[in-house]
Amino acid sequence: MPSANCLRSFSQLSLDATAHSTAASRFLQPRVACFSTSAARHANPQMKKKGMTAAPKKGVKTLNTKKSKGASNNDMGKRPAQGERKAQRKRIVLSNNNALEVSSLKDLSKANVLSEANQGLVMGLPEPVVDALRDVEAFKTTQGWSFFRRPAVLMRKEAIQLVQLFKEAEDSAAGATKRTIRRILTGERKGGKSTLLLQGLSTAFLRQWFVINLPECQDIVNAHTDYAPLEGSKPIQYTQDTYTAGLLSQTLKANKAYFEKATITQKHELPVTLPAKAKLKDLVAIGIANAEASWPVFKALWTELSQPGQPQILLAAEGLSHIMQNSEYMNADVKRIHAHDLTIVRHFVDHLSGAKQLPNGGMVLAATSKSNAPTSPALDFRIKSAEALKTKTELPQWNPYTAVDMRTMDALKDLSDPKADLDVLEVGGLSKEEARSIMEYYAESGMLRHQVNDSFVTEKWSLAGMGNIGELEKNSVRTRL
Amino acid sequence: MPPRLNVSAFSRSIAFRPKPQVQWPARSALRMAPSQSRFYADDAPAQDRSHKPSSEPIEHVSEEAAKTAQIMGEKGPDVNQGTPVEDIVKGDKEAQKNLPKVMQDAIKQGNKTPAPKGSRSYSTMMTRSNEGADMGLVDFEAASKLPATPGLKFEAPTLPLPKDGHVKHRYDPVVEQVTNLLMRHGKKSVAQRQMAVTLQYLRTSPIPTINPARPLLPGAPPPSHLPLNPVLYLTLAIDSVAPLLRIKAIKGAAGGGAALQLPNPLSQRQRRRTAIQWILTAASKRRNVGSGKNSLGQRVAQEVISVIEGKSGVWEKRNAIHKLGVAARANIVLPKRR
Repeated sequence: MPSANCLRSFSQLSLDATAHSTAASRFLQPRVACFSTSAARHANPQMKKKGMTAAPKKGVKTLNTKKSKGASNNDMGKRPAQGERKAQRKRIVLSNNNALEVSSLKDLSKANVLSEANQGLVMGLPEPVVDALRDVEAFKTTQGWSFFRRPAVLMRKEAIQLVQLFKEAEDSAAGATKRTIRRILTGERKGGKSTLLLQGLSTAFLRQWFVINLPECQDIVNAHTDYAPLEGSKPIQYTQDTYTAGLLSQTLKANKAYFEKATITQKHELPVTLPAKAKLKDLVAIGIANAEASWPVFKALWTELSQPGQPQILLAAEGLSHIMQNSEYMNADVKRIHAHDLTIVRHFVDHLSGAKQLPNGGMVLAATSKSNAPTSPALDFRIKSAEALKTKTELPQWNPYTAVDMRTMDALKDLSDPKADLDVLEVGGLSKEEARSIMEYYAESGMLRHQVNDSFVTEKWSLAGMGNIGELEKNSVRTRL
Repeated sequence: MPPRLNVSAFSRSIAFRPKPQVQWPARSALRMAPSQSRFYADDAPAQDRSHKPSSEPIEHVSEEAAKTAQIMGEKGPDVNQGTPVEDIVKGDKEAQKNLPKVMQDAIKQGNKTPAPKGSRSYSTMMTRSNEGADMGLVDFEAASKLPATPGLKFEAPTLPLPKDGHVKHRYDPVVEQVTNLLMRHGKKSVAQRQMAVTLQYLRTSPIPTINPARPLLPGAPPPSHLPLNPVLYLTLAIDSVAPLLRIKAIKGAAGGGAALQLPNPLSQRQRRRTAIQWILTAASKRRNVGSGKNSLGQRVAQEVISVIEGKSGVWEKRNAIHKLGVAARANIVLPKRR
């Protein structure tokens, strides 16, 4: 309840005004109803003129409620996690559930893989081999595995040649002189070099060889992994610990059957102490876990493999021209390190060049690439001269105006020597019978919707540049349109 | 004012004419009266020399020869057939001089067949060193044989021609249309690559589940058949969402400056074009999850799959157009029947 005093003064307010009704007071206090409490002296509120406010200071963010054109297109969703996009791009799909099962497809096995009766047939790869090939990264994203129900390969003429080499190596392993067969796979782009290497790897897995595969030579030399000088090496060499650890892990996974039984027979000098009664598997596991120990572990593994009674070894590499030149790594003088000074590359090249032999026999396979290959004039020259030797044409002359990489020239000098056993294996075009065989496989898988008859096979065979298998697959399965 | 009457029609239309007097005067304005003026050519039947033997056209050589032969009691050339020029000028040296060069050469040559020209000293064929000279030409021997039909250099093709027989129309029409609508800045090969990615994605994607609320075209194959035939997959998706009509707005026709909405039927190609553009717009608005240059093709394929599964927003667009079309049906004014 308001106090009486307050109320009285309220009622007096208007009376006061009427009492002093002078002009001056009227100006001072305008007339209002005596109970109005509104501020009567206020002028009528003026409408604010637009745009009278000062422009915002530079660099100050203002609230912008207008719709901007770009805002609707901006994708505000959650970004994929780091590495996810690349993983998706590099994902290898080996099966297509929509493709039809090919009833006539037979699997390669330990018994039939070396048989020449397979020539011209499409053969399936058994599951353990597929797993092992996946472990050594033999499949590539550019190859068409994702179209078919399961991986299968065509036993083409070159594959049979390769298989015969495997047979030779196995036969010699039984005797006193254990042969190391060395081959470089060459041929046209999309001609099937990588797939032939994969066939070699699968043969080795089936025949229970020990397989070490360098899946992509570019990854060794492009300076994406760490490197360190190797102590006590002269001229100085460099180890790549992370890469070697990765290679060991791939090798361990791929040669599971071998590592199940293998034991350590020798004494090794390792930076890490081995537990007592350790198996070879544990030794490799130590190398994988401690990247610093990976190179000594690799050497120890090699020593174990060199003992008599061990299986034959397949050393394989893909993209040879990357390791036949300077790498991207720099030495202390900021000069490029030659790829042959990297320990892993050195290990491979020594066996490819014949400087070292595989102790229990085996094979060294290197595939060249035509789509991802830096120019290596020395390698090209050596390959050309090997081809000239094969076709008995004139040997090529070295172009004196190109810089020569002497280390590559020396490493591959056996290619120009007809007596030496380093040779090229040229992967050419398919014959029409082979083309027909693989096209029937395409058609049976439901990926080629056409009757496979002579004229159709011939048409596709000629469109594929006289049987280039990559082009054949492209124009019969992929059909770019 | 007298009524306008077609006099001649009047006389014709009345079949019953009891009195000839009822007829209008014979000299009607409409009847053609012989003209009073005469032209020069009219008055000279005597000048017509057409029946005179001298004015007859000269007989054809062979006819003449036949007549001569008849007179002489010999057997002349057959008048029913034309005579080749060579026969006419045979033995006439003067006439032979005026013949075209080709015919002169042919006469000189006589019956001998000419030797083939242009045997090159170098080879125009690339051969592989380890294989024979077979270039993969289909039925190479058959082509070199003499064709059965005269006048053809090679054997006639068997009809009907195969679907991909024409180089400019060798792809499926729907695939071609999508490719062309995918193309930006005239880069067709880029569009073709995206198209190939799309078809590849459709081919490897799992079998779609059809939403019964969004029926596909009647007579569509079961969904299990679709991934193995990606072109059919694409065609089915496009044809299923293709609108039947478009709404044409005629400015000011509704009165008061308002536009009159008129439904307008579309041709098959137009319908497909609309559907493809809807699908491509929806695909380009999809989120790009991967990386690399094949992303657009994948998103188009995902959109096609969602169309088939009835999840796509494209169906809404189609339904909206059809609803508008039903409403605008009232605006159609058909021409009156008489």
